[in-house]
Amino acid sequence: MAATSSPIISDETTSNAGATQAQGVAISIRELSKTYPVSLVRLKKLFRRKATHPVEALRDVTFDVREGEIFGLIGRNGAGKTTLTKIIATLVQPTSGAVMVGGFDSVQSEVEVRAQIGLATAEERSFYWRLTIEQNLTFFARLYGLPDTAARTRIGELLARLELETVARRRFGELSTGNKQRVAIARAMLSSPPVLLLDEPTRSLDPLAAAGTRALINSLARDADKPVTVLLTSHNLAEIEELCARVAVISRGQIRALDTPERLRSVNKSAERVRLTARGLSQERARTALRQVLNDFELTEDTGTLTVQFTRSVEDDALDHALRAVQAAGGRVVACDAERATLLDVLERYEREPKEGMDE
Amino acid sequence: MRAFIVRDFQLALSYRIQFLFRTLEILFFVTTLFFISKIFTGGAVTSYTQWSNPLAAWITGLAVLNYFMTGFSSFANAIRQEQAQGTLEGVLMTPVSIPTFIVSSSAYDFAQATVYSSLYLLFGWLFFDVRFQGNFLLAFLFLIITTLVLASVGILSASFAMVFKRGDPFAILLATTSTLFSGVFFPTQLLNEYGGQILGGISRFLPPTYGLDGIRRVLIQGQGFNEVRAPLFTLLLFLVTLMPFSFWVFSRAVRRAKREGSLIQY
Repeated sequence: MAATSSPIISDETTSNAGATQAQGVAISIRELSKTYPVSLVRLKKLFRRKATHPVEALRDVTFDVREGEIFGLIGRNGAGKTTLTKIIATLVQPTSGAVMVGGFDSVQSEVEVRAQIGLATAEERSFYWRLTIEQNLTFFARLYGLPDTAARTRIGELLARLELETVARRRFGELSTGNKQRVAIARAMLSSPPVLLLDEPTRSLDPLAAAGTRALINSLARDADKPVTVLLTSHNLAEIEELCARVAVISRGQIRALDTPERLRSVNKSAERVRLTARGLSQERARTALRQVLNDFELTEDTGTLTVQFTRSVEDDALDHALRAVQAAGGRVVACDAERATLLDVLERYEREPKEGMDE
Repeated sequence: MRAFIVRDFQLALSYRIQFLFRTLEILFFVTTLFFISKIFTGGAVTSYTQWSNPLAAWITGLAVLNYFMTGFSSFANAIRQEQAQGTLEGVLMTPVSIPTFIVSSSAYDFAQATVYSSLYLLFGWLFFDVRFQGNFLLAFLFLIITTLVLASVGILSASFAMVFKRGDPFAILLATTSTLFSGVFFPTQLLNEYGGQILGGISRFLPPTYGLDGIRRVLIQGQGFNEVRAPLFTLLLFLVTLMPFSFWVFSRAVRRAKREGSLIQY
């Protein structure tokens, strides 16, 4: 339990708490806390109405997102992801702490911060359903201050990039859910902001469209001229693993772990189950060969195909030795699978921890 | 501002038939008032000088009240509509400030109110021989000041809508009381005569009373600036009191909504 009681946060910038203007930092979050107060508490007391308790949504959240990085934020529903995103987007004020985006404070300079950010959520209702996609995007482009010609060009580019050209003149309400989501991404990108906040950008997309969107997000961050920083919130952990350079696990309002997906997995599960499939050797010869390199393994045979299963420590030599032993005995390895820890394991681990552990 | 006006015009275009119905409604209403006014032909009490032609008094009252109510309700409506539709988040994510958003969202309402208010006067002039006189600029000044006073109350109403997420009681109260107590359909003096000091006193606390009285004095009685100073200064007093107060309340409401995280909630 001792290993799980303290957060695993590998973020070198967090130790440099004052350096919010540091080069290469797109979003800087320092000791951010948010407690939603009880609305009209005095009025409720006056009328002897039952008042609910204040809700602590975030506590002492501190991390940086680097320029051009795709940063993942994972956690259960109600963990604090949306509150954190909305504070960064200036829609909610923090109780304490600070968020700096591009060097601007989210409370003191909210208009400047909003100019740096594009937000795309999976909320379908955030558009005017009786207007066409073009009319919707033109309206928002004007709010972003884009001149008409520049707005038309930009909208044309985005419609092409997100494969929305054929439905550009259809009313938003007539679109499929997937297309509505793509329009939300297009709106977030209208002003070419350096920071994108994407909340489940592929939630309602078909597999091909989702892959296209992931490729788009990847290309935005890798743009050599103007790399876009992406804060990605998703329940699709495979997507987070595929896209994100670093991932933060948020649970009950606190950042419980922050690292690369690989390191999070390895720290959280040091062993993995390996399964080798081989042909061209008998069960007896395989058993003899493997006994010399593995302490414990299972061996089964089915119509001339042998399956060897064993557990090894991540990055030890057991797999290499087993492969060599099978080959030396005359066998031919036809498949090798490793059942590795996933981000789901990581998430589950922090959710299983008792609440008291948070305070340590 | 242009973005909001174009958006609202495009949205209105998607409900084309509504404009036609509203125009017909005004025409039918003015026609009805014309026939009711004929009941009083030759019987109007001369002491109510603004009401010697009841049709002129009614359509002036309705046109102006329509404008006043827009000034009053459009700000709160702007917030409520965007909250209800779920579009407030998208709008507030742009670098547009909240006051700019609210004022701009109301611009189309004012344009629409100008058209509909003009229709009352136009139909009266075109079909029922209602003629107006006096200084139109002075009447316009009354219209602007009264609208600004009601807009201040409207900002209070918007603050209420932002915090409480409900249709505001100010709207219901002001709309009801204005129709009854501000002299839209009958002279306010009648309130004193039949309802006594208390009922008559209510009209004195309502800005539309002074706005309507001033505009009718100018357009129907042909009075000049010196004769309408009293209602004009009363309106200015309302304005200098209510405007700063409403801005202060509004800024507090925005801060509170952001702190509670309820700004974009419906």
